[in-house]
Amino acid sequence: MVNYYVRRTARVFVTIYLVASLTFGLVRLLPGGPFTLLRAQLLRQGVPADEVDARIANLQNIRPDAPLWRQYIDYMGALFQGNLGESISLGEPVVSVLASAAPWTIFVVLVSTILVFVVGIFLGSLQAYWEGSRFDQLVTGVSISLMSVPFYVVAVIALYIFAYQFGWLPTAGTVANGVERELGVPFVVSALKHSVLPILSYTLGAAGGQALAMRGNSIQVLGNDYVQVARLRGLSDRRIATRYVARNAILPMYTGFLLLLGFRLGGTVILEQIFSYTGLGYYMISALNANDYPLMMGTFLVITVALVLGVYVADLTYSKIDPRISAGESDEAY
Amino acid sequence: MDATDPIIEMRNARVTYDDGETFVLDDVSMAVERNEVVGVVGESGSGKSMFASAMLDAIPDPGRLSGEILYHKDDGTTIDVLELSPEELRKFRWEEVAMVFQGAMSSFNPTMKVGGHFEETLKAHDADVIEGMARAEELLADLYLDPERVLDSYPHELSGGMQQRALIALSLVLEPNVLVMDEPTAALDLLMQRSILMLLQELQEKYDLTMVFITHDLPLVAALADRMAVMYAFDLIEVAPRDQLIGDSGHPYTRALLNSTPNLDAPLEEMRAIEGQSPAPINVPSGCSYAPRCPLATEECREVDPEFYETGVGHSTACHHWERARETIDLNFEAVEDDAVGADTEDHA
Repeated sequence: MVNYYVRRTARVFVTIYLVASLTFGLVRLLPGGPFTLLRAQLLRQGVPADEVDARIANLQNIRPDAPLWRQYIDYMGALFQGNLGESISLGEPVVSVLASAAPWTIFVVLVSTILVFVVGIFLGSLQAYWEGSRFDQLVTGVSISLMSVPFYVVAVIALYIFAYQFGWLPTAGTVANGVERELGVPFVVSALKHSVLPILSYTLGAAGGQALAMRGNSIQVLGNDYVQVARLRGLSDRRIATRYVARNAILPMYTGFLLLLGFRLGGTVILEQIFSYTGLGYYMISALNANDYPLMMGTFLVITVALVLGVYVADLTYSKIDPRISAGESDEAY
Repeated sequence: MDATDPIIEMRNARVTYDDGETFVLDDVSMAVERNEVVGVVGESGSGKSMFASAMLDAIPDPGRLSGEILYHKDDGTTIDVLELSPEELRKFRWEEVAMVFQGAMSSFNPTMKVGGHFEETLKAHDADVIEGMARAEELLADLYLDPERVLDSYPHELSGGMQQRALIALSLVLEPNVLVMDEPTAALDLLMQRSILMLLQELQEKYDLTMVFITHDLPLVAALADRMAVMYAFDLIEVAPRDQLIGDSGHPYTRALLNSTPNLDAPLEEMRAIEGQSPAPINVPSGCSYAPRCPLATEECREVDPEFYETGVGHSTACHHWERARETIDLNFEAVEDDAVGADTEDHA
């Protein structure tokens, strides 16, 4: 058992190490290389040539003229110390950019993913109980329609209607400009207001999918002998609904929840662009546009690490939640 | 079928689906004596499970059960199970009549320990949990299980036979008078079937249980039952004391069924499969439902659905030609094998 946890934990570090190496390699494979473009840009802006060279040399811990293996070792070494270099476009350490951006993204993704599951499970189990009813048909129809509309379309429409037409909610940003960035009522209210539309559009479609999954699971569980036996044994409907049906129907969705949490971090790249919401995804795109490769690598790394951790937690905790799975047997599942 | 001290009397029980279009239990009447073991046999799809479920008014939706299911309590009062309020029915089930299902493997909640099932059952019936759990442990021990280990296990940690025995213990935890078993050994290997049967016999004697044992395995239930009933096409066709039914059955179907049973004593070439197949619930023939497959069928059979004829002591047969059946359809085994089946059940008969 211990052996399994040790191995599983070691795999996390190996994966993260590989991802870091991959980002290092991939970014260097970008056409023209990051510095060629920067150089061209600066030159085009009329910056004198020697100053350009000096700036590039200064920019960060990697010396672009050093051999690749040297750069790699420097990069990994710095990474190990938590130094992701300095953003080219923002002129700030990448770590501090990420630190200011990550909470917003995590907030939006966490809240919307939890909502996705809460709404999905609630609707899905009601549908299963009233299988074939008007309500069931209606929710199924709406769910499928919502699922087939990409969240960014929902986002644009929601933005147009609620922010631009009605003006109920802000159109961009994480907090209103005038509000001080410290924990207080105005800050929280403003932050919530700004997050409503991103969370809403990120929740709607996905919740439909989870509702359908929950509906299917519940109907399957309801057909099981043990539910019928439980009824005959005289258990209350409430106990059967929670302890028997819901529990067994939700179990298979648990791993999905943690995985989705990780995957949806990646989806914020588009979401935050639409709402100009300065989170990880927003900075990733602006880094990409500006060929700001330290920032790019930083955001990419954070998102991947989050996904790896999600799977890790799912693996470690699943055996605690479902007695049929004992850790170690489910080992190489992912 | 004149019962002297019946505990359950089923009268004209019908189960219909599709607003009365299809019958899966067609006008069945049967009385179960107190403390007897009734074996009900029939092939797949003959309505056996419906018969079992009807005793607890537990027909799966959207089936509708009509008729009368009378239950005679220990104190002499009689209730009609179909007239009970939902709360009364909830109490009736498991406290008076309990049921064991075919799939023991799927009768436990996979995410709950076996002990949890016992506790919640006791709580749901406002029983004393400590006393009840002590009884549960005794029952498990009676079934040759290690109570502590079993109660503390999740269902998947037990073998099929252990789950089946635990389920039997669970069904008896509220001390019901009647235990209805629907193919309780279907998913088990032969040795386990045999040993469960022995255990049931011990339990029956120890707790004075009335048992209704539903199966398609005629030799299996013959070892346990005092009385046997044969179902064909959603109705009972013959009811008799066990030895009588095996040795001197009057219904052509019963005789054919006996002849089709694999038997070590009967040479293989004498084993007879029954030609044709049993009717589906939507087009049960008018008249005798077995007539299309019956070698003795006459015009009378095709037109008049036979009532029960008295064909012996406590022996009822729904066949117009029961006498001819006894004469013309030979049994391919010697009736003397009864001695080997289980001499210890003899005194109950």
